Amino acid sequence: MLPLFGGDENLSVDMIPVTLNGTKVSAQPGMTILELARENGVDIPTLCYRPELTPIGACRICVVEVEGSRTLVASCHTPVAANMVIHTHSPKVLEARKVIVELLLASHPDVCLVCDKANTCELRKIAADLGVGLPRFRVKKRYHPLEDVSPYVVRDLDKCILCRRCLRACHEIKKADVFAIAYRGFDSKVVVDQDQPLNKSVCRDCDVCISLCPVGALTKREERFKEKKGPPLFIKA
Amino acid sequence: MPEQRIVLRNCGVIDPKDISTYLSQGGFKALEKALGELAPEQVIEEIKKSGLLGRGGAGFPTGLKWQFASEASGEEKYVICNADEGEVGTFKDRYILERDPFSLIEAMAIAGYAIGANKGYIYLRAEYHHLLGLLEGAIVQCEGKGFLAKQGNFKFDIEIREGAGAYVCGEETALMDSIEGKRGEARYKPPFPPSQGLWQKPTIINNVETLMNIPPIILKGSDWFNRIGTERSKGTKVFSVSGDVRAPGTYELVMGSSLKELVEDLALAEKVKMVQVGGASGRVIPYHLIDTPLAFEGVLGAGAIIVFNESRDVIDIVRRTMEFFAEESCGKCTPCREGTQVMLEILTRFCHGQGLKQDIENLESLANVMMLTSLCGLGQAAPNSVVDTLAHYRSAYESRVQG
Ligand SMILES: Cc1cc2nc3c(=O)[nH]c(=O)nc-3n(C[C@H](O)[C@H](O)[C@H](O)COP(=O)(O)O)c2cc1C
Ligand code: SF4
Ligand code: SF4
Ligand code: FES
Repeated sequence: MLPLFGGDENLSVDMIPVTLNGTKVSAQPGMTILELARENGVDIPTLCYRPELTPIGACRICVVEVEGSRTLVASCHTPVAANMVIHTHSPKVLEARKVIVELLLASHPDVCLVCDKANTCELRKIAADLGVGLPRFRVKKRYHPLEDVSPYVVRDLDKCILCRRCLRACHEIKKADVFAIAYRGFDSKVVVDQDQPLNKSVCRDCDVCISLCPVGALTKREERFKEKKGPPLFIKA
Repeated sequence: MPEQRIVLRNCGVIDPKDISTYLSQGGFKALEKALGELAPEQVIEEIKKSGLLGRGGAGFPTGLKWQFASEASGEEKYVICNADEGEVGTFKDRYILERDPFSLIEAMAIAGYAIGANKGYIYLRAEYHHLLGLLEGAIVQCEGKGFLAKQGNFKFDIEIREGAGAYVCGEETALMDSIEGKRGEARYKPPFPPSQGLWQKPTIINNVETLMNIPPIILKGSDWFNRIGTERSKGTKVFSVSGDVRAPGTYELVMGSSLKELVEDLALAEKVKMVQVGGASGRVIPYHLIDTPLAFEGVLGAGAIIVFNESRDVIDIVRRTMEFFAEESCGKCTPCREGTQVMLEILTRFCHGQGLKQDIENLESLANVMMLTSLCGLGQAAPNSVVDTLAHYRSAYESRVQG
């Protein structure tokens, strides 16, 4: 917040001193750790977070280390506090992010080569950035029948990583509430009505969910099988 | 150390259906004293000085929680009693609710006066539906006697909300979502409930047993309470003892008593192999550590004591524990939703003697990340039994690795 009048003292009173990866920086009150990092050119990966949606803290990929905290904290919803000492890429943080990506990949169908999302997939990009190849964990795969009845959206929920962007976009941007979460734990699922396939009568073809889905779970019918442009992905490790 | 009844003072003494029996034991004298002699800040000061820590598992200082809520700005504030009692092997809150509902109501009213709330909720676990009538009857009797009616600025109204059978709804923020009529899932913190809780309003949430300590502290003073127990753990703790014991049940002991005393001398266990203290999310204590004190300095949790004798298979116990968490995970965050399922599958392999060499290492790294990154206490505590048994019974795992 800029003061209406007054000098620099006023400005500095409003700013919060923080140490980010060893550098002293200042943050505005109310800012999240993620916003501060991005403002300072530090890249923290995110999956469930989108600037236009309310954060939910579901995917946990954005965790960072804050000195004095028992756990890591998710940067997308944790506000900065005075004198926080933050490490966004410590070994502990990188290991946690890797494990989280490996967990998401462990239950993910092995269809990346033929997936319509191709190189625009955010999960693949983050996996590549973190140097994750084959996940070390084994777990059952989810099986949900392909939902191919809506004229607009094709839903392939085997690929869904439960980031809930579609659900929040539909609720917050379109105010339509087509989606909800049903079941619990590993069986959780983004459902329509009483777990009916997405169809024409509930969804009004706005695309907002499709455009926000980070993976290949939601596809626009006309765009299936078309070429997707994305940067090439290299696994760093 | 002896058994001492502070929390269970009226259990078996009064008739829970008849308020006159409660009044003849000094019932509502504490509320009277608070309203008549103490300012709200003085009530909070007394609770702070008593050193009372929350009995729901996390051990947060009760007085401090109340102070945060009292200082938070807002006209409307709420008091919630957490009677979800979902932890595996806990039944002490049920024991209290069945026998002394009046003390709980009195305590909630005192809490309301202290923080400036005039509405309270009791969140009752679905499986305790049979207690609904008793609790409603108790509230009606308290109202009938005018204890909750307007006295000066004070007035208090209590409503009971029933859960729907989810363990995670015992977690404070999931519980608030559930009261609000939403799917019960944990919210991220901060903001913490004392500043933004139920319907975003300042809210305190306390366990049944925590609240039961309030009237005696107000009546007898913080000094009295502060003298009972250990350095950091004041007062008593109520335990629910079950498993391989001859005398299962509810016991109230002074903080700092030893696990051995409770399990062997009182509950009459023999040939103990290990004890799960704090239920599924608690710690596994092997027999050679049975002298560990029951206190926040030692082990405690919400007071579930599950005893296993030498005939039990460690890995089978851990697998069952993980099955519980995989079933109860709300599914919101990745490490808990996926991690509990991965762990369950690994542990199932071990049970069948088909563990893989890398499984032990994978369990360890996964446990570490679940504890560090899960959104709520469920996922953070889910790997506890895995971590503890890997530390104390590693050979049980190693002997079941294939090849
Ligand atoms: C998964 C989970 C389940 C919980 N279940 C209960 C419960 O059944 N009863 C309870 O009092 N606290 C439970 N808690 C702890 C509450 O979140 C909260 O800390 C407690 O009600 C605060 O009260 P206290 O300060 O009086 O202990 C649970 C916590 C977690 C993470
Ligand atoms: S369908 Fe896509 S946007 Fe919706 S929750 Fe699944 S991964 Fe996220
Ligand atoms: S830790 Fe488990 S129960 Fe808690 S929010 Fe995450 S998925 Fe839900
Ligand atoms: S991006 Fe922060 S929890 Fe998903």
